Amino acid sequence: MEFYAEERKQLPVTPVEPMRKEGDGDGPGKPEVTRPDTSDLLRRMKRVDPDSARRYRQRSGQ
Amino acid sequence: MNRLFGIETEYGIEVEGLGASDWIDESIAVVRSVSGPSVGGWNYRGEDPRRDMRGYVVTSLTTNPEDSMFDLPSRKPMSREEERSDRILVNGARFYNDHGHPEYATPECRSIKDLVAHDKAGDRIAFAAAERRAIQSNRSISLYKNNTDFHGSSYGTHESYLMRRDTPVDLVISALLPFFVTRQIFAGAGKCGLENCGREDPDRYQISQRADYLSVEASVDTLHNRPLVNTRDEPHTTPSKYRRLHVICGDANMSEYATGLKIGTTSLVLSLIEAGWTPGIVLKEAIKSVRMVSRDISLTQPLELEGGGSIKAIDIQRIYLNEAVKRYSGEDSDTDWTLAEWASTLNTLETNPMQLADRLDWVAKFALLNPFRLEEELKWNSPHMQSLDLAYHDINPQTGLYYGLEHEGTMRRLVTDGRITAAMSGAPCDTRAFLRGLMVNRFGGSIEGIGWNGILFRHNDETMLFDMNPLVEENVSILNEEFQSLQNLDQVIANLRQQYKEGLN
Repeated sequence: MEFYAEERKQLPVTPVEPMRKEGDGDGPGKPEVTRPDTSDLLRRMKRVDPDSARRYRQRSGQ
Repeated sequence: MNRLFGIETEYGIEVEGLGASDWIDESIAVVRSVSGPSVGGWNYRGEDPRRDMRGYVVTSLTTNPEDSMFDLPSRKPMSREEERSDRILVNGARFYNDHGHPEYATPECRSIKDLVAHDKAGDRIAFAAAERRAIQSNRSISLYKNNTDFHGSSYGTHESYLMRRDTPVDLVISALLPFFVTRQIFAGAGKCGLENCGREDPDRYQISQRADYLSVEASVDTLHNRPLVNTRDEPHTTPSKYRRLHVICGDANMSEYATGLKIGTTSLVLSLIEAGWTPGIVLKEAIKSVRMVSRDISLTQPLELEGGGSIKAIDIQRIYLNEAVKRYSGEDSDTDWTLAEWASTLNTLETNPMQLADRLDWVAKFALLNPFRLEEELKWNSPHMQSLDLAYHDINPQTGLYYGLEHEGTMRRLVTDGRITAAMSGAPCDTRAFLRGLMVNRFGGSIEGIGWNGILFRHNDETMLFDMNPLVEENVSILNEEFQSLQNLDQVIANLRQQYKEGLN
């Protein structure tokens, strides 16, 4: 007997809850890693005028 | 930790197209640009910076002779009131021009978190004022919360702690010296390069910004020949009962945690000293030692003791910590927070200081700048590294490097942004600053002068002084609540008359 693809019954697929939620069982869970966004900091550093300290003069305070 | 404390910050200022000869005028303009209700006219009752707590008054204070190069002969002389341009704010703080620096003095606080919030509120108030002035003058303005211009000028971030008058001055000085020499290991703000270093190679990273500018152990001076222990005697309250320790040897902290730990530890050390305790050690050369500690990021250098022997900076701190743990554990939440964080910070400084890059300024700055320095093969004292150092202290939240670290979530916080915002317009409810702020907010038009210890009213052709000298204890909270419900100045004055008749305390 031959089966052709179009004859196979297509069942609707509904999302189901996983048997075990991440992190609530004994198995390894996804590690909670929050990576800091360093792009803003690098941009700030690049924008610093390398000569600003040379020009920076202040009166003595207390 | 039942003690009043506060922080004063002199900000470094830079205005596009102008120079140091302009900073007095520009600082005045920034201060006058502060928004919201405020009152001008500082009342100097009881203030004399020449009075020394050792029992005498000096004829004059020394100044930095190099500052005269910034004094233009063409500049019109001003009255003290004009030059200071005081603004007393609704949160009980004072904002004014001091020697060409916008200065923000927090209101008196009684808790660490309140003071951290008010210190940060000061940055925001000063920044907003600078932004307003920049729009008005069409020149960009930067304010820096640091303590050096890398050219030999320093300006201060001072702390004030109210303490008992009956503590002998000699004890205060001798017991504080080892603590102040070594406190920088957690309270230092970090600095690229050395200053005032003679023949020493300036290509180094330092723990402290201020160490290069400290030259004597104890003195009433603040502008030049600066001391580790400032002996100025201005209690801002009843002089027979209290003194105010005016600490000028510390750095400007950007980190909330470092600010909190600095205030908490110093307050506990003062409690030990008030109780008559001494650390039992004397450093052979305190000034030499403060510089040695600042230059030793490995924190391993032993400091010589009077009478022989030596000790590491961390171990000096542990002498104070161990005694404070014995005496004050469990006293209140601020005390317990301080003791726990002090202990864990010292332990981590000993094992792996870099782990503290999320909370101590000198470590955070080093961790941020050192990889760049190595990659670019720069010297620590190069203008580029010092420019990055300066940028760490830029109080503009959009451009400052510290705020970049905070923005990416790296820095440990002690207070929420909401609490800082609240501190911009509200005084601590458990100190007399609450009454000062309340009066500014409600009756500013009737105030002729205002100071730390009193308010001068003009009402119905009569001038009256509201003496706030007695209001430094916790029970001021009761008065604060009462005054909050008063509707007009007549009620305030009637209430005050009644209070004084009954013996205000």
